[in-house]
Amino acid sequence: MKRSKSYSVVWQRGVVLAVVAAVALLGACSKSPSTEEKKPDAAAPAAPAAAAPAAKAEAKPLPKELNLFAWSEYVPQTVIDGFQKETGIKVNYETYASNEEMLAKLVSGATRYDLIQPSEYTIEALVNEKQLHEIDWSKVPNAKNIAPEYRGMPHDPQNKYTVPWMAGTVGIVVNTEKIPAGAIKGYGDVFQDKYKGRIVVLDDPREIVTWAMATKGIPANDVTPENLEKVKPVLEKWLPLVKVYDSDSPKTALLNGDVDLGIVWSGEAALLYNEDKKFAYVLPAEGAHQFIDSLAIPANAPSPEAAMLFMNYILRPEVSKLISADFPYTNPNLAARKELSPEELANPASYPPGNPKLETFRDIGDRAVPIDKMVTDLKAGS
Amino acid sequence: MRTGNTSVAAPSGYQRSPGLAGWLLLSPLLVWVALFVVAPTAIMLVYSFGRRGTLGGVVLDFTLDNYAAVLDPTYLKIVVRSILYSGLTTILCLLMGYPVAYYIGRADARWRNLLLMMVMIPFWTSFLIRTYAWVTILKNEGLLNGLLLQWQLITQPFEMLYTPGAVILGLVYTFLPFMILPIYTSVEKLDNALIEAAFDLGAGPVRAFSRVIVPMTSPGITAGILLVFIPALGLYAVNDVLGGGKVDMIGNIIENQFKGNARNWPFGSALGITLLVAFGIAFWFTGRRQQE
Repeated sequence: MKRSKSYSVVWQRGVVLAVVAAVALLGACSKSPSTEEKKPDAAAPAAPAAAAPAAKAEAKPLPKELNLFAWSEYVPQTVIDGFQKETGIKVNYETYASNEEMLAKLVSGATRYDLIQPSEYTIEALVNEKQLHEIDWSKVPNAKNIAPEYRGMPHDPQNKYTVPWMAGTVGIVVNTEKIPAGAIKGYGDVFQDKYKGRIVVLDDPREIVTWAMATKGIPANDVTPENLEKVKPVLEKWLPLVKVYDSDSPKTALLNGDVDLGIVWSGEAALLYNEDKKFAYVLPAEGAHQFIDSLAIPANAPSPEAAMLFMNYILRPEVSKLISADFPYTNPNLAARKELSPEELANPASYPPGNPKLETFRDIGDRAVPIDKMVTDLKAGS
Repeated sequence: MRTGNTSVAAPSGYQRSPGLAGWLLLSPLLVWVALFVVAPTAIMLVYSFGRRGTLGGVVLDFTLDNYAAVLDPTYLKIVVRSILYSGLTTILCLLMGYPVAYYIGRADARWRNLLLMMVMIPFWTSFLIRTYAWVTILKNEGLLNGLLLQWQLITQPFEMLYTPGAVILGLVYTFLPFMILPIYTSVEKLDNALIEAAFDLGAGPVRAFSRVIVPMTSPGITAGILLVFIPALGLYAVNDVLGGGKVDMIGNIIENQFKGNARNWPFGSALGITLLVAFGIAFWFTGRRQQE
């Protein structure tokens, strides 16, 4: 913001006002359908209550609403219903399909959310920008259930801001009816000429570049121009072999039989394995990306109290179990893991055996821009 | 545009410029245009000169870097491809849509509404659902391959899904009604006497078509071309769903700047403004040619 001060302040304020007004209007418009659909009864008095200043919350009447902004296909309806029934707090569940989409809506400020569900590198960026509200752990006693390895991670070293929701990895799915199980051990085995047109990968430039870096022994977060230059020839060879890029539902192409190999989210792989045991999950020998999606409270949340109630609720083993049942990622809740069935725990995509080499993503700021450009360029050329 | 003109024209029977009542009648449209066309475009224009904010968003500034980046060969290549794809889509829509529109327009009045209805029925279903339906048809173990295999026309599943052909198919399917409807309105107004006159004066069917029918339906054709070409250029869902995300079009690139890793709103805005200006020029050009 500093740089812009040299320009006409009046003009700038005008622009900002116009932008804010327009964005607020658009936000209001996009919000209204969800409000309508979620509370057909007595909608009118509820709306101002949500917008009321934080002072109200301190006067201790229990908040009436919780604005949850989370990944699509990640929060079971049973969990939301259970929370609503127990607390009487109405949950407005809005969804997004990428961390960046969430950030876009969050920074626009048009809607104030009580709870968001960012991944680790996004949490780091939000913490750096002081955009998160500190959690009062006395209100979240169930935090004791969180496994020690999910505490004090690089994105939240002092455990101030986040409650892990689910963790997972990005790994390889092999249709063992078409390709022998042992043939694929790492990224290098996937991208072979003989598998041309039989591969689905995540449509995510940073993921793709990370895999190529792993084959060169470069750590996932060492995104430098030199390292990008080093992996460029690798990607030039890889990308023409890919048949489908899909981050939303990479399992579809595998299930449909359009491809036989994939590099996908572990939860997708776990669902495939549940569908048919022929889909084997392999953590790449070169190293894999582990992601941790967590609940966090935006700094401007209207009712952090409700958010913390929700955090505490989902940390109960019997609730957390429901999340695992619908979305078989790695559950970071130790108490909940004890309640999972042996089949759930034996799913290699949810709970990979052995001691794999895992790396989490750090926020790389504007170094994401050249990644995006390089992958776009190589895709266009292939 | 047309709506604007007619609203102005209505009171101008006795008054040259619209009076208070005219402006009042016009005001919903003006407010709508100001809020949803002018304001967003202005925001986009301002953003396109800004710098990338850390969490997305824009740091206001005045830099031309974003426009310089638009001219990078990486993106120019994609712009060219987008134009080729939407151009091909437009041509196919015109070739397929014109006969249909002509037939409906010349059909007996009893059937006309029914036929028009059939063109519009697909709109009752969400465009995304219809696009996903094509996945079911085109996939390797899908309906079409199943049929072809059963009839023993092929021995191996024919790869249709996730190819450029599937993208073109999806685009043509999506935009065909937008070509048919404007041409239909032109055809409906076509004066039969003029066509008969052409024949009487010795024109063959080809000449009557090219020298009389086509010029008289050209407003519909122009409208159809604009209604197909421009949205096809910006559409990104079809490429993702039917093209497997391989064939990026300019819409995908813009989407990525807002929803993807790069979080580069100013660049996305600059791409948007560039397209807008290009459309504006194309629109002005066709408009001028129409007048001549």
